[in-house]
Amino acid sequence: MSAFVSSPLFRRISKVPPSYYLLAALLVILFVARPQMLNANVLGVFVRQVVPLGILVLGQLLVMRVKSIDLSGGGIILLINYCISSGIFPGASLGFYVALALATGLAIGLFNGLMVAKRRVSAVIVTLALSIVLVGFVQYLSSGKPPGDVPKIFGELFNTRFIGLPSPVLFWIALTALMALLLSQTVFGRFVAAVGESMPAAHFSGVPVERTVILAHTLAGLMAALAALVQTASIAVGSVRVGLDLPILSVAATILGGVVFGRGEGGVWGPFFGVLCFAFLFVVMTMFGVGDAGKLVAQGLIILLAAIFYGLRAGK
Amino acid sequence: MNPSSSSLFGKLLAGRGSRQGLWLLPLVIALAMALWLAAATSQFGQWSNLANLVAQGMPLLITAVGQMFVVLVGGLDLSIGSVVSFTTAILALDLPGVITLPGVFLLAALIGATNGYCITRLNVHPIVATLSMQYVVLGITRVLRPVSGGAVPDGVRWMVEGTFLGLPLPVFWGIATILLAWKLLYGSRYGLHLFAIGGGVASGSSDAARNFGIPASRNIMLAYVICSLFAALAGVFLAGRIVSGDPNVGLLMELDAITAVAIGGTQLSGGVGSLHGTIIGVAVLALLSNGMNLLNVTPFVQTAVKGVLLLAVVALQSRKKIGL
Repeated sequence: MSAFVSSPLFRRISKVPPSYYLLAALLVILFVARPQMLNANVLGVFVRQVVPLGILVLGQLLVMRVKSIDLSGGGIILLINYCISSGIFPGASLGFYVALALATGLAIGLFNGLMVAKRRVSAVIVTLALSIVLVGFVQYLSSGKPPGDVPKIFGELFNTRFIGLPSPVLFWIALTALMALLLSQTVFGRFVAAVGESMPAAHFSGVPVERTVILAHTLAGLMAALAALVQTASIAVGSVRVGLDLPILSVAATILGGVVFGRGEGGVWGPFFGVLCFAFLFVVMTMFGVGDAGKLVAQGLIILLAAIFYGLRAGK
Repeated sequence: MNPSSSSLFGKLLAGRGSRQGLWLLPLVIALAMALWLAAATSQFGQWSNLANLVAQGMPLLITAVGQMFVVLVGGLDLSIGSVVSFTTAILALDLPGVITLPGVFLLAALIGATNGYCITRLNVHPIVATLSMQYVVLGITRVLRPVSGGAVPDGVRWMVEGTFLGLPLPVFWGIATILLAWKLLYGSRYGLHLFAIGGGVASGSSDAARNFGIPASRNIMLAYVICSLFAALAGVFLAGRIVSGDPNVGLLMELDAITAVAIGGTQLSGGVGSLHGTIIGVAVLALLSNGMNLLNVTPFVQTAVKGVLLLAVVALQSRKKIGL
């Protein structure tokens, strides 16, 4: 086994994030079993459902690159969904809600970043605790009952299409491209790579480690806010349970995309395809009549195999 | 960055430079809560409520003590909630208890060993490895028992509901758990090795323990096995209490266990923590939920208060590492 792991073939294969292989395999299965499903309309509907997860992943991959983690996305999504659907701001415009969501995400992300980088608290605990607080707060405000309806304009925006593709999907692609530019073209992107590689080395090379971590968390909070807006538009009603499993799923999709704590070979598009994998995985398994239990098992095994795939390489 | 105060306050209340972490402040919080509840409500001090408090807090105590072992070596086990559900599902299968009871511990050890193997040998991050294990075990549990039901062997039920020497049996489960963990952590070479490995991991050189001749991989793997075994023990206890198998009974239990461990001063970067701290952390959470029930506060506020408490306590602990 170790001979295979150190062989040039394995090294070349493992350069490509696992999500690319999995997505290719899933598309082939779809093509063989249900060729009629492979058109832009049907696929667009499937992909549209995972857009909130996809946007959350953009933040998650950023914090995972600097060896941190953000589990507070679920709380942020729940809070913003509540603010929009409960009618506590009667007559507010779309712009107001967007500004409110972004400000909320920014504030929570900044808080996470300050706690992790300045106060040096474990990122798992801070973001988890914050999520617990936000979930409890929203459930208290709503007494555990679903709040009202989401203003109609959200649903209308969600259902629009441009050049044949649903606009949420286009929005997601645009955001991903922006994040790719941020990581590859800016100084901040270099800082993120340096901090992930080795914090002491980055520190002694003059990289502002604390500021980089804070900024990464702040951007993750912002992404969670955007994910919340799309998620709210997609379900069109208020809920006290929406989005709670998304943070953990976003960690899974990021790993599938070839980004693990501190290392980011998968770039931004690896996790992007990781999210697409989840979308098609559920379609394919539903097609073959696999139940919810089987889906959980498959999901777990795929994440584990993807991580082992990367772990073997790092161990060499 | 962190003012290294060597004052008495720094040493005692903030647990600086201590291997046991910050446990005095949580103890003060727990005692204050207990005193306040005893003064504010008449039911709190009643015998039935105290017995109830112990029985309700027991699954958390058992899982948190297990979780502490992996946290001490800088790990994390997210699969224990699934292991708890899985255990109740196995016990509620239509099989004699002579088979299922050893069976659940064997399977839990297998799950823990798989976690440990992936983490130590295959270089998978603990969060990732145990997260996937959580999905896999939960999936298998839902195949075995899609909805709650089935019957648990009478022996298991008796072990939880009975009384001994006039005391309810859960009290003895607690004593046994604590003694077992005490022996492992403070009464054996293994416990000393755990602190050594964790200290090395926390300081950023994971080879530190190995350089002193401590087999790190094997000991870390054993920590995950111990954690899973404690989770199975909690599953047996819960099965005895709900007298059926339930695929959702352990849902999010891993997060409660981590919360209790963190409140008790054990640091997630490894090497710093204590058994009494974990017990205090469990007591704080148990008193919180029991007290708020007695005071008729909605469970939703409980959730928020739990989160705020966790934030406040961990914000007081200082460490060097940034990140996870």
